Amino acid sequence: MPVFGQTHIGGKVLDVSGEPIPGANVMIKDTYDGTSSAIDGTFSFVSEEQGVRLLVISFVGYKPFEQPVELTGKAISITAVLKEQINQLEGVVISAGSFTAGEEKRRTILKPVDIAMTAGATADIAGALNTLPGTQKVGETGRLFVRGGDGSETRTFIDGMVVLEAYGPAAPNTPSRGRFMPFMFKGTSFSTGGYSAEYGQALSSALVLNSKDKVDLNQTDIGLLSVGADVAHTQVWNRGSVSGKIQYTNIRPYFNLINQEVDWKTPPASLEGSAAFRQQVGKTGMFKLYGNFNQTDFSLYNHAILDPTITQVYDLVNRFRYVNGSYQQELTSTWSVRGGVSYSYNETDTRTDGIPAAETEAGLHSKLVVEHTFNDQLELRFGSEYFHRTYEASRLVDSLSQLQQVSFTEPIVATFAEAEFYASNHFVVKAGGRFEQNMLAKESSLDPRLSIAYKPGKRGQFSLAYGTFRQTPQNQYVRINTLLTPEIAEHLIFNYQIVTDRKTFRVETYYKWYDQLVKYGSGSGITNTGNGYAKGLDIFWRDSETIKNVDYWISYSYLDTERDYLDFPYSAVPTFASAHNFSVVYKHFIPRIKSQLGITYSYTSGRPYYNPNQSQDQYNTDRTPYYSDLSANVAYLPKNNLILYFSCTNLLGRDNIFGYEYSQTPGAEGEYVSRAIRQPAPRFIFLGVFITFSKNKSINQLPNL
Amino acid sequence: MKTIYIAILLLLGTSAFANDDKYYEQMGKQIQNVYTAKTAEQLQDAINAFDRIAQVEKSKWEPLYYSAFGSIMLATREADGAKKDSYLDQALAQIEKAKAIAPAESELVALEGFVHMIRVTVDPATRGPQYSGLSMQAFRKALGLNANNPRALALMAQMQFGTAQFFGSSTAEACGLARRAQEQFSLYKSENPLAPVWGKEMNAGLMKSCQ
Repeated sequence: MPVFGQTHIGGKVLDVSGEPIPGANVMIKDTYDGTSSAIDGTFSFVSEEQGVRLLVISFVGYKPFEQPVELTGKAISITAVLKEQINQLEGVVISAGSFTAGEEKRRTILKPVDIAMTAGATADIAGALNTLPGTQKVGETGRLFVRGGDGSETRTFIDGMVVLEAYGPAAPNTPSRGRFMPFMFKGTSFSTGGYSAEYGQALSSALVLNSKDKVDLNQTDIGLLSVGADVAHTQVWNRGSVSGKIQYTNIRPYFNLINQEVDWKTPPASLEGSAAFRQQVGKTGMFKLYGNFNQTDFSLYNHAILDPTITQVYDLVNRFRYVNGSYQQELTSTWSVRGGVSYSYNETDTRTDGIPAAETEAGLHSKLVVEHTFNDQLELRFGSEYFHRTYEASRLVDSLSQLQQVSFTEPIVATFAEAEFYASNHFVVKAGGRFEQNMLAKESSLDPRLSIAYKPGKRGQFSLAYGTFRQTPQNQYVRINTLLTPEIAEHLIFNYQIVTDRKTFRVETYYKWYDQLVKYGSGSGITNTGNGYAKGLDIFWRDSETIKNVDYWISYSYLDTERDYLDFPYSAVPTFASAHNFSVVYKHFIPRIKSQLGITYSYTSGRPYYNPNQSQDQYNTDRTPYYSDLSANVAYLPKNNLILYFSCTNLLGRDNIFGYEYSQTPGAEGEYVSRAIRQPAPRFIFLGVFITFSKNKSINQLPNL
Repeated sequence: MKTIYIAILLLLGTSAFANDDKYYEQMGKQIQNVYTAKTAEQLQDAINAFDRIAQVEKSKWEPLYYSAFGSIMLATREADGAKKDSYLDQALAQIEKAKAIAPAESELVALEGFVHMIRVTVDPATRGPQYSGLSMQAFRKALGLNANNPRALALMAQMQFGTAQFFGSSTAEACGLARRAQEQFSLYKSENPLAPVWGKEMNAGLMKSCQ
């Protein structure tokens, strides 16, 4: 018979650097015996167990320490060194080039509600992201222009799948709005360069929107707006949900009240519907289906520059359909798979003085991605995708009264692979590549991607990103020459950021090389001989801590860019580029009056424009006056489920000029006559009432606005 | 041979009983500790003790319940949002394990609602709408499992009171609920000697604000 005796077990729990870990759980596995480590990391307890047992020491954020011990009655002393678990919240993350907004990742720069409540953005995703550094305000388009890139160089992805035309139609020189409302998404990742090999066909920027998972509560939302109305309903069941929304926008009554720069015959009206279906499958599977349709029409008079009394009627009807289905599933604890299919259809029919023209683009995108976790330090992601895009344009040629038609089909097959390696909680490397085969341009390419991040201390971290990115030139060029190869941009980014719970500071500098840009040749042909560069500095500061109930952020971007492309006689600054962009967003919640007040100020230095009256060596050397805008919004919550919302842009009524158009031929004095491109109206005023019905009375549409 | 078998069976039987005694004794001691803990260290000690018991008593939901309760208490003391979230993540992980053992236990569902409720406090403006909804849903579900669960009633009253205050609307409904909770606290009896008994004082505090 063994002698029943007590064994004394003592020792110390330390981390790798020798610092004590207090509060660690020390135990003999499968018994009650154990204790917690003290403030100095020491522990001591007795066990009546006999024989060889497993001693386990665990603490949150560390890998458990395990050691067999023999309990014989003889005192045991153990020094346990706990290794950090990698990839924890406090660990290093790759931050060069990317802004991530999401509720679940806690230390993010912008949250969905921030996008919705930014004054001046009028709940438009692009509008809100325009207050972040790295973007240049190009007010007459409403699109995202990133770091010397054109608006078409920013690509939108929903749940990883591409959207071909993410903006609604707009009259010439008036801003368009994004087609997707921010409330649909649980997270937004806005990358201003150096993004993952998973995203292709984007030269400057990837806007990755992740739609919400299963919704938790039944609810009905009604919105009455000064420019229309919408109704939405969400129905939830055990493992799935379905929601639908119908929105009618008619800006006609508003335009009748407020004088517009544009000479509308019939101002825009649109009908839009969207539906989302979510179903959990098995333990880890999630199926998402999303569809959206939109029809917009308007009609306006174009006035000739030389003689404004000469007018031309321009009618437009746009039809847009988008379907996106995606599925993700964990296969085992280390393997997972996700994939999807998206289909975009965009048709624009116009009539210029009754003469019809039409443009149709349809695209199918399918993708499959496999992810494998080798251990907590190494992760591998690889996948394959297929794009199939057809474009067709037709117009009636007046003089010949016959239909002229051009079309092309572009299939692209791409494969990508990326590995992420955490050397420690202080150092991470992500490296990969993307192989693309463009069957229309008959080009194969391999683009490398690399990101490194180093976090020396607890808060601040340095990141570096490098990569090559390519994108097919815009349709209007490919339709002339289908052999045009994709345009190329190479990004090099260096970033420092320091993030605390409620404060963020980041500074980023970058250099971008552009190559194979579309360029008009000496004859009528177009080639890929253009090139250019962009370099600059972006600074961001956000603080929601210092002043109670106040959250504000400040962005500044400096940009130096030139291109020799299209019809440029030589390398010059493109008209969409501005050297200095500055914005301040201020939000103040005032509990006493149950209101949130938002103010946004934006400044953009003068942009170049082409003046044909200048000599040829003065190409794009003229500058517009600076742009500035002060916008405000107020959301008032008189009851839990009711919101009154008011917003107004350009409170000071500044007459912003975005550029100048010139007459095709010189006027009477032998000079080309100019006309300023102005805001469609000095201000845009918006009023809305939002009501939510749900079992839970504390729910309202605040996050949706 | 037969006698040896019987002896072994008896031995197993008694050791199982002995273990049960130890279980109740240890649990009783640690439950006292978690209710009376004054410092974060004392709470962490209690949580660790419950986790040790839980890894032996794989069919019992109570050790996991109190481990989660301790983590929630740690979260309420913590000022840093990320740390708060990490405690709440731990609490939720233990509740999930416990729910796999006792899926119809009203107390576990109520505690889950408590986790969501504390989540709101990290960033009320952003999280309020989502997590207040989730917590109310959990409290309703807990009351569906046991309509007289005083903790589910008290937490629901707390949540409603906070929301009403935030929006400056009437707190009458919340206070009515708090009164119901108070009644149920005084009537509350459980056959389970380890059943939770906390919440009466918290509710009394709310009742004071209601006057």
